[in-house]
Amino acid sequence: MGRKIFTLLLLFAVFTVDAQEKESLNLFTDRDLYISGETLLLKVFAPASEQSGVVSIDLINRNGKKVTGVILEIIDRQADGFVYLPDSLSSGSYLLRTSTRTSKIRTCKELYIANRFTGLPESNSDMKPVGIVPLNVTSVQDLQVDGIENQYKPRQKVHATLQLPAGLLNQIDGDLSVSVAGTTQGNMAPPFLQISEEETSQSIVKEGINIDGIITDLKTAKPFKNAVVYLSIPDSIPGFQYFITGEDGRFNFQIGKYYGKIPVVIQCFAKENSNLLKITLSDRNNLKNAMPAFEPRTFTTEFRKSVAKSTDAVTFRKIFNQQEITIQPAPIIKRDAYPYYGVPTKTIDPQLFIDLPDFNEISKELLSGVKFRNYNRIPTLQVFNAAQQFYFNDLPLLLLDGIPIRDLNVIKDMGTKDIDKVEICQNERFYGDLIFPGVVAIYTSKADYTRVPESNDLIKLNLEVIQHHAVVNTPSEQLPNEPDLRQVILWKPTLKPAPKMELYFQTSDIRGSYKVVVHGKTTDGSIIYKEQSFEVN
Amino acid sequence: MANRILYIITFFGLMATTLLTAQDELPQKWNTEKIKGTRHIPYGAYSGSPFMNDKFIMGEITFSDGLKMDSIGLRYSSYRDELIYYNTAISAQIIIDKISLKGFSFTDESGNKRVFHHQYYNGFFPGERYFEVLSDGDIALLVYRKVVLQVCPPYNDNAGNLKNMSYQQAYNYYLYNDKKGYELIRLNRNSLLSNFDKLTQKSVKKILRKNKVQITDEQSFVIAWNLLKENGITINF
Repeated sequence: MGRKIFTLLLLFAVFTVDAQEKESLNLFTDRDLYISGETLLLKVFAPASEQSGVVSIDLINRNGKKVTGVILEIIDRQADGFVYLPDSLSSGSYLLRTSTRTSKIRTCKELYIANRFTGLPESNSDMKPVGIVPLNVTSVQDLQVDGIENQYKPRQKVHATLQLPAGLLNQIDGDLSVSVAGTTQGNMAPPFLQISEEETSQSIVKEGINIDGIITDLKTAKPFKNAVVYLSIPDSIPGFQYFITGEDGRFNFQIGKYYGKIPVVIQCFAKENSNLLKITLSDRNNLKNAMPAFEPRTFTTEFRKSVAKSTDAVTFRKIFNQQEITIQPAPIIKRDAYPYYGVPTKTIDPQLFIDLPDFNEISKELLSGVKFRNYNRIPTLQVFNAAQQFYFNDLPLLLLDGIPIRDLNVIKDMGTKDIDKVEICQNERFYGDLIFPGVVAIYTSKADYTRVPESNDLIKLNLEVIQHHAVVNTPSEQLPNEPDLRQVILWKPTLKPAPKMELYFQTSDIRGSYKVVVHGKTTDGSIIYKEQSFEVN
Repeated sequence: MANRILYIITFFGLMATTLLTAQDELPQKWNTEKIKGTRHIPYGAYSGSPFMNDKFIMGEITFSDGLKMDSIGLRYSSYRDELIYYNTAISAQIIIDKISLKGFSFTDESGNKRVFHHQYYNGFFPGERYFEVLSDGDIALLVYRKVVLQVCPPYNDNAGNLKNMSYQQAYNYYLYNDKKGYELIRLNRNSLLSNFDKLTQKSVKKILRKNKVQITDEQSFVIAWNLLKENGITINF
């Protein structure tokens, strides 16, 4: 009976791991050992069930603190990108971790990063993660790498061919990832899975980046119900979203396809009364609870040598100002044809008229249908309702560079020189369940949003959104006297599968062991790989 | 034996549980696109109706980026060529910005699905319009369901006020092709036949005769049009 229970439990465990692997992301990097100041290249294969459209890659230190991170766009169930490793990183083991909004399973990979200036710890030992179950990758014999010799000279041109038999070709889902990079003696652990303890988002899933947080009453510090939260993305056609909080005071926004770094303003106010509110964004940087255990390890002599060699290479590349990658321009995304507040009834450029000192004068002289008054130092603003021929009693939607503002003192001193254009909507506008009694949108000459003050209920962010695509630089033939100190001599994360795939690369000046590594994903969710080593002497 | 059966059942039960857990149900994918528009101001009360459907009917709208939103109360104003929806959360009738829509559809009281496309009309009085699609395809049969406010013989309304204006239908029917644009068509047999060469006209007449179709109104015209499509008769357009 005991044997039966044991068999049953074993089978249960096998099925659990297998099912999780097929539903998890797979993460591969160009190498395992890095020097601070370098660029890490990575490739992610996502399961077909992944809906969030983006994957977050976080570099986490041993204490569970996020050091840096990027967000990559998942296209055809795969993503590739890079992570700049800050020069200030101290030597030690780090985890590179994938996470998405919809999956509780996270894939981690251990990396060793040595500080460029301090090298390895003098104690010759460090900590490494333990008790991890590595992800299964299957080495396929059918996939052949032809044309690779055992030995090459520095700066020798290499031509290799990847041969994919028809049977395997039909099974491949998406692209293949091919890298040729230097290998490190005393290799790190393979990728492994981690089950998140955090709750994944239960909100409606839309492709893009998630921003969430909580609104609390400033006095009681309790979650605030019925707070209206605005998210604005200042632009020529500004982006806008809103959220009305429930009992738990939580809000959630999903930003679509924006690339690079974008300014984002989040603000809130009470829907029905004038409570003072506070916005607190969720902190995703502290991931201590989800860390594996660590135990001491001692470095081998080969590993120390590899670190010393890589450090020299990185330092010299910095001296010669050799950039590892070139950032590609972001794809052009078709945004809204008109602003969320509607097609303006009127657009006025005050700079076409005589200089006016403040907004009071501008509204009187140039903005027909806009009544801005500053009696007893209490500014008021009203817009004329053209459809019903009266002035709205309520404050219109007032925007400064696309950011809604409620404090009229912000605009009262704005004169002709400060304003690029003013757009007015002289009708009652609706956006979802929001009602705007007219709209006055002011676009400033500087467009730097500095006039909008930060406070407890208004947060300005410079948000890192989807990473730009990048290509790995190859050495220029026009500079033959410069050293070629590349440690990654080929990086093709999106190689289209074909019966024959030609690979061309040139070895660098760094001597040592190199590996051609091919990764791919099959339609059943399994990961396949093939590797072949060669020496450069 | 009983033990063995129990053992097998437990094993498969555990296996199923495992797989279900791993495939964890994901939240439903749905878009949070917001409807943009302005408040609908009631039209003047005259005889006739400015709307195609007087009551709000549950329907679906398609935004210009292709995203869809369904189960919203819609009413098409033929008079102003506007789509009005009823926002239950704020109890307001809102004219949806035409520019933000690709089209809309709803099922009318008689159970027919009515599909409207938003497209640019480059003919007389050019501009963005909603066209109802009577028959789709390479050459589509469209109708612009226009209602105009016209002077009519004096009459007393329900409140006893004397009026001389009424809403009157002024529907226009078009053949439409992406490349060739619009061609006005009338709802009669001759207008239909004029779109075919002489040789084809014979077979068109034969098909209509065989199927006992007499073109007298919109419904019979659509039946005839679909019959010709089914028989593979191509129109000169």
